[in-house]
Amino acid sequence: MSGGYNEIHPEPTTFWSKYIFSFDHKVIAKQFLWYGIFFLGLGGLMALLIRWTLANPGVPVPVLGNLIFSGSGGVVPPDTYAMLFTMHGTIMIFYAITPILIGAFGNYCIPLMIGARDMAFPLLNMLSFWFAFLSGVVLLISLVIPQGAAAGGWTSYPTLSTLIGSPGAGQTLWCLAIFIFGISSTMGAVNYVTTVITLRAPGMGYFDMPLTVWGLWLTAILNAIFVPVLGAGVILLILDRVFGTTFFLAGASATSGSGDPVLFQHVFWIFGHPEVYILILPAWGIVSDLLSFFSRKPAFGAKATALSMTSISVLSTVVYGHHMFTTQMSPLLTQSFMTLTMTISIPSAIFFANWLGTIWKGSIRFDSPMLFSLGVVFVFGLGGLTGLHLGTTTTDLFLHDTYFVVGHFHYTMAASVLLGGFAGIYFWFPKMFGRMMNEGLAKLHFWGTMIPLNGIFFGMLLVGYGGMHRRIYNPFIYESLQRLIPVNNLITTSAILMGFFQLVFVYNFIKSLMSGEKAANNPWEVGTLEWTIPSPPPHHNYDIIPVVKCGPHELGNPNLKTGRDFQYQTEELVEA
Amino acid sequence: MSTRGRSELQINLATNIVIISMAMLFATLFMGYAIYRSSAPVWPPMGVQRVSLFLPSLSTVVLFISSFFCYQVSVSTKKNELSKGHKYLNLTILFGLGFMVLQGLLWNQMKSSGLFVSSGIFASITYAFTWIHFAHMIAGLVALLYLKKILRSETKNLMTKTTSVENFWYFLEIVWIIMFITLFVF
Repeated sequence: MSGGYNEIHPEPTTFWSKYIFSFDHKVIAKQFLWYGIFFLGLGGLMALLIRWTLANPGVPVPVLGNLIFSGSGGVVPPDTYAMLFTMHGTIMIFYAITPILIGAFGNYCIPLMIGARDMAFPLLNMLSFWFAFLSGVVLLISLVIPQGAAAGGWTSYPTLSTLIGSPGAGQTLWCLAIFIFGISSTMGAVNYVTTVITLRAPGMGYFDMPLTVWGLWLTAILNAIFVPVLGAGVILLILDRVFGTTFFLAGASATSGSGDPVLFQHVFWIFGHPEVYILILPAWGIVSDLLSFFSRKPAFGAKATALSMTSISVLSTVVYGHHMFTTQMSPLLTQSFMTLTMTISIPSAIFFANWLGTIWKGSIRFDSPMLFSLGVVFVFGLGGLTGLHLGTTTTDLFLHDTYFVVGHFHYTMAASVLLGGFAGIYFWFPKMFGRMMNEGLAKLHFWGTMIPLNGIFFGMLLVGYGGMHRRIYNPFIYESLQRLIPVNNLITTSAILMGFFQLVFVYNFIKSLMSGEKAANNPWEVGTLEWTIPSPPPHHNYDIIPVVKCGPHELGNPNLKTGRDFQYQTEELVEA
Repeated sequence: MSTRGRSELQINLATNIVIISMAMLFATLFMGYAIYRSSAPVWPPMGVQRVSLFLPSLSTVVLFISSFFCYQVSVSTKKNELSKGHKYLNLTILFGLGFMVLQGLLWNQMKSSGLFVSSGIFASITYAFTWIHFAHMIAGLVALLYLKKILRSETKNLMTKTTSVENFWYFLEIVWIIMFITLFVF
């Protein structure tokens, strides 16, 4: 492949074209990063309010209580509690994880790591961000309207989400926001898939791509196929709420045929299960790369890792029924879904073993990106193992809708993605902004996150196993659950602690942005393409499109004569 | 790969991904329809009249003619007869608009025969599916107008862009035919 189509676009000159409506993938990535961090903070604040209510039912929230809930004397009212957990889930999944992992890293890493000058469709890329922005604005508006935000859970099951269950515009705006966000995701996906297929540097085969790009690419494919499924679902929900159709209203009028609330659950999870992997695949990719980079060893079985991520993506499309074991599904179906779900553990075990194989006997450098990556290995291991209990029909029937589920999906989707995201931020920050982050504060942030994080989510597994239901405002009105108050206190204390340590991150981020130590071209000493160019990269990324001659993980080769322990992807492979 | 080949591939890939995405949206709708219909004891539900076939059939014919003209656009473009292509494109747009007018008439007819949006699942499906298809028709028209704009002058990858827009138009045609058969005929 020649670099022909990779023409150099003229550099923008005005403030608007440079920072606001920029076509440059690096600027769009940063826009997504700010956007994601803003919503991460908002969603985190909501999580703290939820936790406060669960540990201290009926006690006014300190500091914030009188500001937000002045009507109830500072206590979170029950209906607001439902809105809080709904919006916490929605914001974290669609407005924090998706923009940071897919929007920011996808935009930043894909062109740089495959040696391209920009995305295939820069205009579409810009529109993708501004659609996401519009969607975020719609969602924020829904928080402040008279009857409040959506309160049907992030899954928005009817009848909770129909006009009967949640009157007011909140739920409608929620649907609208998700639909607009879906358009944004699809635009991004079109770009990512096309870019990876057509703009790889000459010499770069698919298996020469860093695993980060593999993860983002698979994510984009899943996005393009399954986000429209949810799109269809929320359109029908909007029609039900605004125009009076009866898609999800059961027994609305027996003589003219009735709708089916469970259908929405099917539609939601046909989208929802691939969505789980949409969120986690980029983090897997990043971690697979970082473990190799900081162990100074080639990634163990990199090809197998890429292929197992691919087969997980394929399998993820046929297992959605395990979310619905309790919906009177035929036992034949539950057994099939259970078996298919269990098969996912085979590719998962393959790449998990590859991770361990990568760090085995490596000369590990415990820099902050590596610490966070190792954190992902640990929490994803726990999350994955607890998934087996929920994928098995017999145990799921008992654990369904308990805090065990909450603990499980937070370990997999929240904890590992969050840690993976932080690993990525610490790793690419020097490239993005040309400055190093403070390593001491980064390590403090890691331990301050990792320890309370396990307090929170392991605590959730415990209280869930103890029988605590997911969505009850005050579980302790049930005498049998009162013994769980101490564990709930532990969870809440951990959550507050973890929230506090995120301030360390924010401080470090802003401080380093302003006055961090200037970063060299290649501070981590790794060989992928983005580290061959200055930090931060020039507007057109590469003066000359690089020619790729070897894979991304050529580290620790004893035959290297260059005085380095790694080789760049642009160098001829030295046989080990 | 040559520069030209690459940008053609990019356009084709992008169009196909967009079509796959929209196909998934409609596939979801049809899946829901299949479930409603197979779980209903009788279809259409008791007390509901089928929609008269006249307007939907006419719509099908009109949209088919539109697609036929659309095909002629790329035939002419391939032979580099741009003014002829332009004429066919105008006819495509005209018949496309005709289809949309017929849809309006269809909704009017359904309303006057007492089938309102809120009168149960049969009406919900008929209205919602045709509305959603109509919304995509608007997007299709915008694409045709874009083609009209670039057909005037020498444009890079004109042929690829023409076939991309055409494929999108055919896609809308196919979705309509499936809707015609499943919603109105059977």
